[in-house]
Amino acid sequence: MSRAVLAFALRRAAATLALLFALSLLVFALLYLAPGDVARNLLGTRNVTPEALARIRELYHLDEPFLAQYWWWLSHAVTGDFGTSIRTGGQVGPLLLDRTGVTAATAGLAFLLSVLAGVPAGIATAVRRGRPLDRAIVAASVAGVGAPGFAVGLILLYVFALGLGWFPVYGTGEGFLDALWHLVLPAVALAFGLGAFVVKLTRAAVIRELDQDYVTFARGRGLSERRVLRLVLRNAAIPIVTSLGLMVAYLFGGTVLIEVTFALPGLGSLVEESVLFKDIPVVQALTLVVALVVSVTALAVDLSYLAIDPRVRTRAVRR
Amino acid sequence: MTPLLHARDVRVTSAAGVLVSGAGLTVAPGETVAVVGESGSGKSMTARALTGLLPEGVRATGRLELSGQAYDLAAARTPWQHIRGSRIALLLQDPFTSLSPVHRCGEQIGWALPRAGRAAGIARLLDEVGLPAEVAGRYPFQLSGGMRQRVAIAAALAAGPDLLIADEPTTALDVTTQHEVLELVAGLQRARHMGLILITHDLRLARARADRIMVMYAGRLVEEGPAAQVMDHPAHPYTARLAACDPPVTHRLPALPTIPGAVPRPYEVGGACAFADRCELAVEACRTAEPALAEVARGHRAACVRPSDVRPVAVPPLAVPPAAAVAPEAGPAPALLTVRGLTKRFPGASAQALDAVDLRIAAGEAVAVVGESGSGKTTLARCVVGLERPDGGSVEFGGGATGPRRVQYVFQDPYSALNPGLTVGASLAEALKAAGRPRSEARSDVPGLLDLVGLPAAYARRRPAALSGGERQRVAIARALAPGAELLVCDEPVSALDVSVQAQVLNLLSDLRRELGLTLLFITHDLAVARQVADRVYVMRRGRVVETGPVGGVLGAPAHEYTQRLLASVPAATRAE
Amino acid sequence: MKSMKRRTNTRPPVVAILSAVVLAAVGVCAVGRELVAPHALDQDVYLGVVGAGIEGHLFGTDQLGRDILQLSLAGARSALAGPIVVALGSMVIGFLLGTFAGYRGGIVDMLVGRYADLLLALPSVLLAIVVAGLVGRGYWITVAVLIVLFSPSDVRLVRGAVMEQTPRPYIESARLLGIRPMRIMFRHIAPNIVPIVVANLLLNVAFALVALSSLSYLGLGVPPGAPDWGRQLADGRALLGDNPLAAVVPGVLIILTATVVNLLGDWLSETLDRKVTAR
Repeated sequence: MSRAVLAFALRRAAATLALLFALSLLVFALLYLAPGDVARNLLGTRNVTPEALARIRELYHLDEPFLAQYWWWLSHAVTGDFGTSIRTGGQVGPLLLDRTGVTAATAGLAFLLSVLAGVPAGIATAVRRGRPLDRAIVAASVAGVGAPGFAVGLILLYVFALGLGWFPVYGTGEGFLDALWHLVLPAVALAFGLGAFVVKLTRAAVIRELDQDYVTFARGRGLSERRVLRLVLRNAAIPIVTSLGLMVAYLFGGTVLIEVTFALPGLGSLVEESVLFKDIPVVQALTLVVALVVSVTALAVDLSYLAIDPRVRTRAVRR
Repeated sequence: MTPLLHARDVRVTSAAGVLVSGAGLTVAPGETVAVVGESGSGKSMTARALTGLLPEGVRATGRLELSGQAYDLAAARTPWQHIRGSRIALLLQDPFTSLSPVHRCGEQIGWALPRAGRAAGIARLLDEVGLPAEVAGRYPFQLSGGMRQRVAIAAALAAGPDLLIADEPTTALDVTTQHEVLELVAGLQRARHMGLILITHDLRLARARADRIMVMYAGRLVEEGPAAQVMDHPAHPYTARLAACDPPVTHRLPALPTIPGAVPRPYEVGGACAFADRCELAVEACRTAEPALAEVARGHRAACVRPSDVRPVAVPPLAVPPAAAVAPEAGPAPALLTVRGLTKRFPGASAQALDAVDLRIAAGEAVAVVGESGSGKTTLARCVVGLERPDGGSVEFGGGATGPRRVQYVFQDPYSALNPGLTVGASLAEALKAAGRPRSEARSDVPGLLDLVGLPAAYARRRPAALSGGERQRVAIARALAPGAELLVCDEPVSALDVSVQAQVLNLLSDLRRELGLTLLFITHDLAVARQVADRVYVMRRGRVVETGPVGGVLGAPAHEYTQRLLASVPAATRAE
Repeated sequence: MKSMKRRTNTRPPVVAILSAVVLAAVGVCAVGRELVAPHALDQDVYLGVVGAGIEGHLFGTDQLGRDILQLSLAGARSALAGPIVVALGSMVIGFLLGTFAGYRGGIVDMLVGRYADLLLALPSVLLAIVVAGLVGRGYWITVAVLIVLFSPSDVRLVRGAVMEQTPRPYIESARLLGIRPMRIMFRHIAPNIVPIVVANLLLNVAFALVALSSLSYLGLGVPPGAPDWGRQLADGRALLGDNPLAAVVPGVLIILTATVVNLLGDWLSETLDRKVTAR
């Protein structure tokens, strides 16, 4: 059995690799086709002489066919060498690493906040379906889902940082506690929409389970409401975990805007800066890294089914 | 003796109106009471009301006494937590959905047991329902339907209830499994001296299993009494007619008795007998007031103003089946359909769905394929019409391959058989057009087609949502006939319908056969239905045909051990003591 | 008692009506921008940025001396036009590809599925930023990019709905009657998935509104100076100290508009759902 499970895991991992490969090709092609002369961009404001251009072209293999260029880029990328940033002139890899901490902390904090608030709220509303609390939370979550993080962020900034002065306005702070303090507002802004989404999907999943026959039968044979709720939650966990996995992609989209709003030096603001500057090597690396994180999360969610859904376990084995 | 359960004036209402009006029920320890009714009779709602498990938006009133202790069904404070489990347990119909899919069976049984000695308790309960102890470690999806229902029974009994309410406990199971599960329940009931309320649509099953029978119709209790008394001397015309609609497996009837019309909704019946509109005995008094339950014999009561005029509906058996004259079995008549060596295995499945199946149908003949779930009977039917591609073998139709539109299919589920977005007329007109009829002609042919299946022409303007299950099935048959099909493949066309409606549809099919010279391939799990419609029968099991022959021979004197077992599982017309 | 029961089961239409009224108001501003806010782009150069309450400028002005109220009303056009086009465009793609993939299966389904996988593996906002930033800036270019990026989820939605209908008896009957595949797909299946499509259309309008204003916020959507809520928020970020309403008003408007569209979408999907499931 465990060998079959391993085979399933390997198959899924291979599929993820194939997807990443296709994505890298897509990203590379996209930027290859982007208007503008890359060599000229690479030279930046320095003296543009035909010799300099030729040298740059040779250095970056820009005069080779598309596939060769792609291969050259990819073979370096897998070793962590994403080339040189046009804007800073430094290595892209270390630049990314440097920026990762802030983003990971903000996104992680936001994820935690939205799950810790959203899942219990979703369960509470599902159990009290149709009552005032349910309707209030559902209405709030609709507003939350529709609220872009940067608008919420600006309003939070205005109220809590500028108005009340409880939180710092911009920047990252020094030391662990201060840094955490600086991340509270950005994380809350990011968690706002995410949390609303979690409420909606948790509520839907729990309600779907509450309507099942096995709940009626559990009550019909005298099990306590506590036990019935535990039964329901165990079953509802499967769709909830899937959706939480999908949220990672959403988090990365949102973090760009939040970091710009709060002037945080993370990967998100790096995206903005690089795109505006047409810093192609950085953009390529960033997209690939995000794709990697998103696909690996999807893979992890798939594999987590093996643990939480016995039906998938045997289906995986049988296949 | 104090009854185990005594319920009075049980009323169930929803936003639409009354669903059950004033039912009463008494069960003694060790007694089995069957509550019988068709869909919409309110039998399940009554069961739910007695356990406080009504769906959202549905409310009950009335009184419930359990061993002398009284409770108010309407009160918010009724201590259901203490009643359910240890006093009353509710067993549901579908074992595939009534267990949590992600918990092991042992766990689910054990929740109602005290923590100390839980493992031993689970093993004991599993043993009691005839399952090996290792089932405790399995998940429900790893078990067959019958085994799942046994696990559910063990779980229901874990808290040691005095009374078990079983809501159609075997309807979702195969015939042979049904028999085993009912035997198991009867045995457990005896051993535990438990009361049993058996909710069922099947009068014959009620007769075979119950001490007393209660018949419900449109939310009302119309008759109750000792099982034999109610069946042999019905005092309400509905009971008499319902019993007659149920086809016998022992012989063929010239035409099945039916009940005209359809069951009304409970809240649409005012102060009148709910059955009056369908009753041939109805008099003025039936339409002006709701008849009260009155005693007609000791312990036998009926809500009818003319109980003494009610007689069991007697139907003489047919000496020679008329169709047999048309189509002698596999004889000289030219074959319309010849199936040779058909094989099919679904991807990922471990067993063959079809394993070298041969089948031959002569023109004008009616052939039934019977079998339990997984026998391959539906796969065979789908291969015949081309909805499924066989791995090997051949399907020849009138000398050539199956031609489009010469063979049509009638599906089991009447609710998804018609496009919900199109009117009946539009669906039929389109079928006619697809068969090459010009547009104008297609339009004008619709009323004739509806008339053929016994529906008024005005139905052309209705959408499927406004039709009953039986009416939808009639429209589906009309659509299948539109292109002038010669062979009609019917896949369990009546198994989703109530008995009285089933009889109407079966009669319609045999009329159509006579009038149009239609050939039928009829797929069914119900031997009695096969007996009524078919000239010849094929018995299938695990993808193979195990027995075939004229219907009288196969069902009268079965040769194969499996056919014998199938027949033995059909509830007998009289109670087996 | 009846009415009480009703209320627990369905959202009161009051919410839907209110949402429709708000949305209609935004719609009026979008269509009649020149009439509703004729002075949106007038720069009151003598003032520069001023706070709320000054005569003639209820919500004050921005850094160019433009009236916040008029500018915000004028922003309704880019807040609705683009998102509606995005939702419709991606749904047309989703409907055609999803229907073919769901009904035909096989190679078509495989190709469409891979295309959806590829685009869904990246956050659409991130991709939009990259593509819009590199390919070219401009409102309608951004809209076109979003159509492509939104289509995979529509393809999946329609494909799933079609695959749910395809094995149903009424479709199999149609096949046996010899009705042509195109007719089965677009006359038999399509009407029965319309409720899902319509409800999703509205939800997509809300998502597209957020996405488009996000891009404007980053300076990628509308050109500088154009009346647009996202752009206003970006400008307002620097003005939080002088005139916070320069950011708060458009911020509230984005949230309000997205919310009412979402509410309408939810209400519509519930209503249509009930209509479909009612037998």
